Amino acid sequence: MSALKIGAFYNPHLGRELAEAKGIDHLAMADPPRADDPWWPKIKERYTLLLHDYLGQLSEPLDERSIQRARSLAELYRTPWVAEHFQCLHTEDGTYNLNYVFPPLYTEEFLARFVANANVLKARLDQPLVMENIPGFFDVRHSQMAEPVWLRRFFEATEVGFLLDLPHVWLEAHYRGVRPTDWLGEFPLERVVEVHVAGVTEDPDLQGPWIAPAEPTEEMLAFATHAVTRCPGARAVTFDAFSPSLTAEVLLRSVERIRVALA
Amino acid sequence: MTDRGLQDLVIRALADAPFRGSAEWRQRALADDERVERFARFLARHFYFERIVHFFKYSAALARVTGRRPDAILGQPAFAALLPSLVLGTRDSARAVAGLVVAYVKSGAPLPPIPYHEDLLRYEEAMMVVEAGPRVWRETGNGERGAGAGAAPQTVEGTALLDLTYDLPAVLPKLLRPWTAAPEAPARPVRLIVARSRHGRVAVAKATDAIVSIMDLADGSKTLDDLAREAGLRPAELQATLQGLTELGAVRFSTGS
Repeated sequence: MSALKIGAFYNPHLGRELAEAKGIDHLAMADPPRADDPWWPKIKERYTLLLHDYLGQLSEPLDERSIQRARSLAELYRTPWVAEHFQCLHTEDGTYNLNYVFPPLYTEEFLARFVANANVLKARLDQPLVMENIPGFFDVRHSQMAEPVWLRRFFEATEVGFLLDLPHVWLEAHYRGVRPTDWLGEFPLERVVEVHVAGVTEDPDLQGPWIAPAEPTEEMLAFATHAVTRCPGARAVTFDAFSPSLTAEVLLRSVERIRVALA
Repeated sequence: MTDRGLQDLVIRALADAPFRGSAEWRQRALADDERVERFARFLARHFYFERIVHFFKYSAALARVTGRRPDAILGQPAFAALLPSLVLGTRDSARAVAGLVVAYVKSGAPLPPIPYHEDLLRYEEAMMVVEAGPRVWRETGNGERGAGAGAAPQTVEGTALLDLTYDLPAVLPKLLRPWTAAPEAPARPVRLIVARSRHGRVAVAKATDAIVSIMDLADGSKTLDDLAREAGLRPAELQATLQGLTELGAVRFSTGS
């Protein structure tokens, strides 16, 4: 566990603080750097950067423009791996778009689509591909299998890495009324390369907890400690918060608390 | 229906409040209605939070003199009242939400007054409205024709021309830097064109007389010769202007048969 790198997301409004921060091993990049970002050169020089942008949804094949964009960002960041999500958030014709991660139906058809398109993307990248789990707030009755089964079959068919988002697992367990550690045990943890840890707060629309740019609770840190002991291939843990409302204090303290919890 | 088609229905139900209330959706009983409604409302607030933070960032920078943070509207009853009619990504919904933001920020009455405040809010509102609409997520190979002989350019729906009393482009960058007194804008009329690319990128440029003429005339039926004659432009000037407008996303050359 001592080899685990502990990092955060690059939040441009916190560029000054991140450029000078201590105790952060890497930064995940959710957006390309802005041309007018004064801190970007220092950030790029100083940190290991992880590509974690929206590249496209793998329910459809990525077009050449998206693949070239992914390759170009991967080269710019010199990223050790490229991350994408198990998501299907816009309609095929582009008319409706949720602008927020949303999982696909867990069916054979979607499994075949994601496997085929991930294999194509993997072959076009110079770095390993890792895929992140996405929480569902409700079940769609048409789904044919549980999410962990679908994910296991996906990873067996593609041999890409697993970016395990722990708060996503915790939230699903909460809304299913099961113990998070039990639910976690269903996932293919032997594939995990990177782990996300984050805070959750009560959301008034959802009338329950959801991911927020807040510090992880003690319960979430204990869950992370439990999880990493079951992920033998994990190389990095990232505090997953990317929001204009995130403060430097929350980011820096969260990274420090994760480091202490996993030490 | 394929699974992909069903997924599209679920996405539409989350994005389109009137559809969510329709018999077409409810009769399918694909998911728990209460959970879907809660998640849809969460998504709507997130969707417009991101857009308000991005497009009203100059008003946010002025919040310490106006006393009004633009995104605060999302926590108010006026926004909650819109939720049953919102369709995420449509121009009508963008207009409705941006209108609420403008009304809220205007109610702040900054002291001392900011002369270009009205212009600034119109600019930010236009940016948010122009950004709305379906977008191309992936190229399918049905590209558009270039400006060749016989091509008929067309002004893209939703492109906006904005006449302002103050030269906003001169003051916008200053608003985002540290300041003690609100930066001033030159009292100099400017006309801006706001357009969106097929992939959803919004861009702004100063509009020349040639641009305004082409915007008026490019209806998809006139050839380049027609446009040059009616706008009184030399061919080279027309080509250069059209190239700029195409890059901006304001003009397209439709796919021929």
